[in-house]
Amino acid sequence: MRSVMRAALCALLAVLCTAAAPACRIQASRTVVLYGIGDDPGVFLWDSRFRLRGYHAASFDEAQALLPHALLVGPGTRAVVLSCYANFVQPKYRLFPDDAVDVRILAGALRGRTGWVLGGDARVLRRR
Amino acid sequence: MRAHAAGTVVFTAFLVLVLGLAVQGAFQTRARIADTFNREADVQRAQIDLQEMLRLQIDEENFLRGFVLTRDPFYIQQYAIAASQWVAKETAVHDELVTEHLDRALQMLDQYDQVQNRWREEIALPLISHPHSGVLTLDKKSKAFIDYEAQTAEAVRGALVGTSETLARSTQDQINRTSYVRAFWLLVFGLLAILFNAYQSRLTRQLEEERMITGVLQQAFRSEHVPLPGCEVGSTYLSATSRLRVGGDVFDVFRLSEEKALLLVADVSGKGVDAAVLTAFVRFSVRSIALRDGDPATILAEFNQTFAKTVDNPSLFITMIVGILDCTSGSFTYASAGHDSAYVRHASHVEALPVTGPLLGVMEAAYGTKFATLSPGDTIVLATDGLTEARSRDGELLGERGAMDWIASGPAGAQALADYLNECVRRRSGNRPSDDLALLVVRRESESGGEHA
Repeated sequence: MRSVMRAALCALLAVLCTAAAPACRIQASRTVVLYGIGDDPGVFLWDSRFRLRGYHAASFDEAQALLPHALLVGPGTRAVVLSCYANFVQPKYRLFPDDAVDVRILAGALRGRTGWVLGGDARVLRRR
Repeated sequence: MRAHAAGTVVFTAFLVLVLGLAVQGAFQTRARIADTFNREADVQRAQIDLQEMLRLQIDEENFLRGFVLTRDPFYIQQYAIAASQWVAKETAVHDELVTEHLDRALQMLDQYDQVQNRWREEIALPLISHPHSGVLTLDKKSKAFIDYEAQTAEAVRGALVGTSETLARSTQDQINRTSYVRAFWLLVFGLLAILFNAYQSRLTRQLEEERMITGVLQQAFRSEHVPLPGCEVGSTYLSATSRLRVGGDVFDVFRLSEEKALLLVADVSGKGVDAAVLTAFVRFSVRSIALRDGDPATILAEFNQTFAKTVDNPSLFITMIVGILDCTSGSFTYASAGHDSAYVRHASHVEALPVTGPLLGVMEAAYGTKFATLSPGDTIVLATDGLTEARSRDGELLGERGAMDWIASGPAGAQALADYLNECVRRRSGNRPSDDLALLVVRRESESGGEHA
């Protein structure tokens, strides 16, 4: 009886956690195209999701200091999603937070490199 | 009547005031809305300028990239043009933010400006000097700059959009408020117009009633004369309140017998309808007394007593001349209660008939009787003080001497002389006599029937 109750409680907690946790816009294992949504379509690939977050919240000088930890990926580069943290990044002058997406580059000079990009910069490739 | 006129003036003034307020309010609202529209247009222009700044910023980067790849100085020229245009746009946006007091956005714009200048110093200038350092450096550092600038520009744009929305809401609110205010004024003005119309209708109705009453009174109080044997009678009446044609002056010719007639001219203090009411009392009282007693002095004394007992108003008084004319013999017996405008025109001169007692209604008094004889062709002129007190336009009174001159130079016929004297008074006062005038002229016809002078 006790084990049944424990199982039910765990199931309830799991349901609650699932319901409360924000969902990522892009699921793991999906192939994406990287394309910057700002004025410059290039995308920074960061070695840590915290630096990604720091870059978008930093002052200009702080952002400059973080740049050695980023690689510039050309617009249109393909990548595959490894994992995702929903609403992890809050850009300084935007109202809503964005996801931090862990990707592996699939093509180009940086092929095979992994890193973190902003959710908005990763576009899911449509299947034909 | 005066109260009605004042009411109309006040009502009209109020309507004009309400209309003035409504028009002024409409102009003020129009000015406010126009101002808000102008501000909104300025803010929208600033948003466009901001977009232009971002485009020019990318142009700068592209021209720089073009130079690094081709080493063509054309790109440097274009870069310089884009940079100067960027500065001009930045100044325009800056001014608008200052005008609208958007301090936070102003801070952001300053940061944007600083970062763009740093980009020029740290990336553009070194690359122009050493283009071989490559596009990669340009791309990576530039992206960081552009990302930051885009963020600050977005903040400025957000502030401008917010202001624009606020102004649009404000305009809409003002338009709504104007509609409500206009509806309110329309309602007020409409109600006032309805009230005014009702008031005017009531006033017109009252005036119509008063006019009717006045007409009846005029009929009742009008002085008239009857023909006398051997005499020609003329009369005229001039009212200071010309519309009423009644007043405090009265004359009467009343046949007491075949030969004798009562002649009466009196002036009741006051003017208009109030005085006219008393004149009826004067005429009929004097007639009834004269029928009992033919002595003018007794008539005046008795009337004085009757008047004092009947009219309980110490401010009212009457001047009167009463005479009994024997149309056959031409003898004229008269008594005058303070009435000094009485004359007899003889063939050679004009004689003033003296006063024989005090005013009526002031005190109990005895009156004397005097006699005058009218030869054939002689004329009695009995007038009220409207004759001797006829004022010229300069305010100068005519006086007894002037009146006698007019009488002496007037035409022979009784009615002709009355009309002549009336015309003289009108002309002297510029058609605006200051007092009523009653004139009774009786001419004893000459035996030959010829005309005098």
